[in-house]
Amino acid sequence: MAASVREKQAVALKRMLNFNTPPLKNTTTEPVWKVLIYDRFGQDIISPLLSVKELRDMGITLHLLLHSDRDPIPDVPTVYFIMPTEENIDRICQDLRNQLYESYYLNFISAISRSKLEDIASAALAANAVSQVTKVFDQYLNFITLEDDMFILCHQNKEVISYHAINRADIQDTDMESIMDSIVDSLFCFFVTLGAVPIIRCPRGNAAEMVAVKLDKKLRENLRDARNSLFTGDSLSAGQFSFQRPLFVLADRNVDLATPLHHTWTYQALIHDVLDFHLNRVTLEEGLGAELQTGARPKKKSRKMYDLTGADKFWQKHKGSPFPEVAESVQEELDSYRAQEDEVKRLKSIMGLEGEDEGAISMLSDNTAKLTSAVSSLPELLEKKRLIDLHTNVATAVLDHIKSRKLDVYFEFEEKLMGKSTLDKSLLDVISDPDAGMPEDKMRLFLIFYITAQQPPSELDFEQYKKALLDAGCDLSPLNYIRQWKAFTKIASTPANYGGSGVKPMGLFSRVMNTGSQFVMEGVKNLVLKQHNLPVTRILDNLMEMKSHPETDDYRYFDPKMRGSESSIPRNKNPFQEAIVFVVGGGNYIEYQNLVDYTKSKQGKKVIYGCSELFNAAQFIKQLSQLGQK
Amino acid sequence: MAADITLLFKASVKTVKTRNKAIGIGFDSTKEDILKRGRKKSGFSQKAKEVITNITKLKDFLLLHRKDYVSAGSLISSELSRMTDNERDQIDQDAQIFMRTCAEAIKQLRNEVEKQVMSAQVKEHRGAVLDLIEVYLKGVCKLYSEQRAIRVKRMVDKKRLCLLVKTCHFICFPCAEKNVSEVPVQPVSLWEEGREEDELSPEEIQMFEQENQRLISEMNSLVDEVRQIEGKVVEISRLQEIFSEKVLQQETEIDSIHQLVVGATENVKEGNEDIREAIKNNAGFRVWILFFLVMCSFSLLFLDWYDS
Repeated sequence: MAASVREKQAVALKRMLNFNTPPLKNTTTEPVWKVLIYDRFGQDIISPLLSVKELRDMGITLHLLLHSDRDPIPDVPTVYFIMPTEENIDRICQDLRNQLYESYYLNFISAISRSKLEDIASAALAANAVSQVTKVFDQYLNFITLEDDMFILCHQNKEVISYHAINRADIQDTDMESIMDSIVDSLFCFFVTLGAVPIIRCPRGNAAEMVAVKLDKKLRENLRDARNSLFTGDSLSAGQFSFQRPLFVLADRNVDLATPLHHTWTYQALIHDVLDFHLNRVTLEEGLGAELQTGARPKKKSRKMYDLTGADKFWQKHKGSPFPEVAESVQEELDSYRAQEDEVKRLKSIMGLEGEDEGAISMLSDNTAKLTSAVSSLPELLEKKRLIDLHTNVATAVLDHIKSRKLDVYFEFEEKLMGKSTLDKSLLDVISDPDAGMPEDKMRLFLIFYITAQQPPSELDFEQYKKALLDAGCDLSPLNYIRQWKAFTKIASTPANYGGSGVKPMGLFSRVMNTGSQFVMEGVKNLVLKQHNLPVTRILDNLMEMKSHPETDDYRYFDPKMRGSESSIPRNKNPFQEAIVFVVGGGNYIEYQNLVDYTKSKQGKKVIYGCSELFNAAQFIKQLSQLGQK
Repeated sequence: MAADITLLFKASVKTVKTRNKAIGIGFDSTKEDILKRGRKKSGFSQKAKEVITNITKLKDFLLLHRKDYVSAGSLISSELSRMTDNERDQIDQDAQIFMRTCAEAIKQLRNEVEKQVMSAQVKEHRGAVLDLIEVYLKGVCKLYSEQRAIRVKRMVDKKRLCLLVKTCHFICFPCAEKNVSEVPVQPVSLWEEGREEDELSPEEIQMFEQENQRLISEMNSLVDEVRQIEGKVVEISRLQEIFSEKVLQQETEIDSIHQLVVGATENVKEGNEDIREAIKNNAGFRVWILFFLVMCSFSLLFLDWYDS
């Protein structure tokens, strides 16, 4: 896997936009203009990967939603990128009948069934437009890549395959089947794009196992049909020869419910937790003035949207760093930018002295070179300034939230809970503290306490806690569900161990004052994270290194390339170099960051993280309360 | 990695056709289809495609003659493919005229798009198409300007060399003249000539050697200076290009601001006039009210006097 998943998907998209021919590398070629039509799924897939400018460079003049009103534009080829659902097919037939465009290149995000293809064929015949339908393709791109090594399945209809949908008590077999089918379809597309057939390992007895069985079956069917197999070499995969097949670990959300509720301290995870962050886009509400006086007109809140992309070097470097480090780095970047700006301004004044001072003329020869370099570096400077502004705004917003909700206190407390070290403040104190955070935060803290406790608290304590939570205004329904879950997992296996972790608060004021940071961080403890492994990371470590561990020893083993049925004995004794971790039921950035740190500590290993949906703690609590109410 | 199912699609078209035939549904022949297609090619896309083919022709032309154009007029090679300067000027002029006509055509198309009434999507699409064509034209113009820059640099080099050669010539001429003049001056017998030449030549050789040394040092310094100036000129030209681009960008903005300001002054003038009218009306209205009141009071007085 030489190229990352994101690059592969971007290359596939660009090829599709170039009418499914590989794009030429000529400097100046004749422009060919086209129109791109997508549905919401296609939009979610394209938007993290290609910007509007890149689309324009590829010759796309208009990009429209499938179900919007579209006017006929003559003489232009159109590229469709849609899911093969009933409504979409109907709309395509309608377009064909109305003769909106000149030629149609239909690309379906996942494979289209024969009957739907015939529907389009009959509509094309009826409209006399068969020759206009130039090409039809199955793109197999039914997943969204957010980072180089992270992907999610879908964003649009995620309630359908959410944790709630999979784990609710009144689920029926047919629902479960359809959910599993959609997950397996997306995973299959993922492996087709990756170009590799993995070795699958999954735990027994839960949703992950069902997914693994189906996926194995699908891969086997496809491989057996050697002529049409999508995994035989083509021009794309000929370039990378991975001598080893990757390991695909399926995990279920139920193995670790505490991590999604955890308060976090790294930059990307904080943004996801605290602000509105979807598909690499942050939406900030910039309200002027937090309080409204009575009688005063509320100031208008402007909403600003920022894209955090791969091209943003600061973001790539710091998205996993703890928050105080981020604040310092923003300050450093700002200083270096100001230094460069000053240099450019100085040149300007020197140039101004040119005609007057003979001494300056001798420096002239230097200055033309300096001027050239300054002028050519101006666009970079402007870009840098824009990024610094972006990150300053985002970090300030996050910091406001942290200060108002005292998230650092929660973080420290939870780390101690998960590491089973001694607590210096009792849980009841924190919960009854009126100005430490929203009710949601307190609920999260208590749930983590409940999940990680070796034995459940006594009834008396429990009632005390419940009363304190009710006083704070929390809704108690998630608690019911967690009690059920805890009882269930206790029967099944030993509760997960979160590993030793330690949190050392640095000197409250000394470091902050020394850096003279612009962000006033008084009262926010400067916490240093020690490395610790979350359960998912530990499972991955065991499986990749072929270590023997009671947790992972009875994982099932699937190898789609082997003839015959699967065997439970792993044949491969060497440790794996590449792995893909997929969490069925939802994931979040904390796990992703943990995996990235784990990969960094091991040389030469590549890990890709995927989940069926991405939620932050607030959304997860909502799902838990829905489950608890049943 | 996509799967091409166009063939599958065509097969399904065939199955649907046979199915329809079996059921008995007929459909129109394909004659209408061709007629409809012929009518649909709109003027815009044809014109746009023409402009593109023209620009491509220009690009091919430039690339074809690029090697000859750029090949240094080196004094050693005497190949037939060498271009004369006249030909180069001709190419320059032709290319410039061509580029200007292309830019004008694009502008014309843009005005047409503005004037024509059509839906917003079609307008946006056409605007974007014209942007793409402009970018393409800019790319081809860059090719041309690169060639030209190389040529101008070589011309500047050649001029400097020529100057050096001329100064050399001036210095050498007196020596040559001296040589030439000395030889016929001695119409004496051979052995005398030979003796005098033998006497003179070591001195002359020394003098010539000194002159050579001096010339070499002078030329070295000149060459260094030329190199420095060359570098500076190239940088200055690059800077100038960047600045002129920025200035052109600002020009459009200034134009729009100017228009806005003109509109604003007109609005303010009209506003003033309206205010004046309003004041006048107000005044006139007041006069009439006063008159009415006075008349009323007079009539009251008159009635009172009449009654009493």
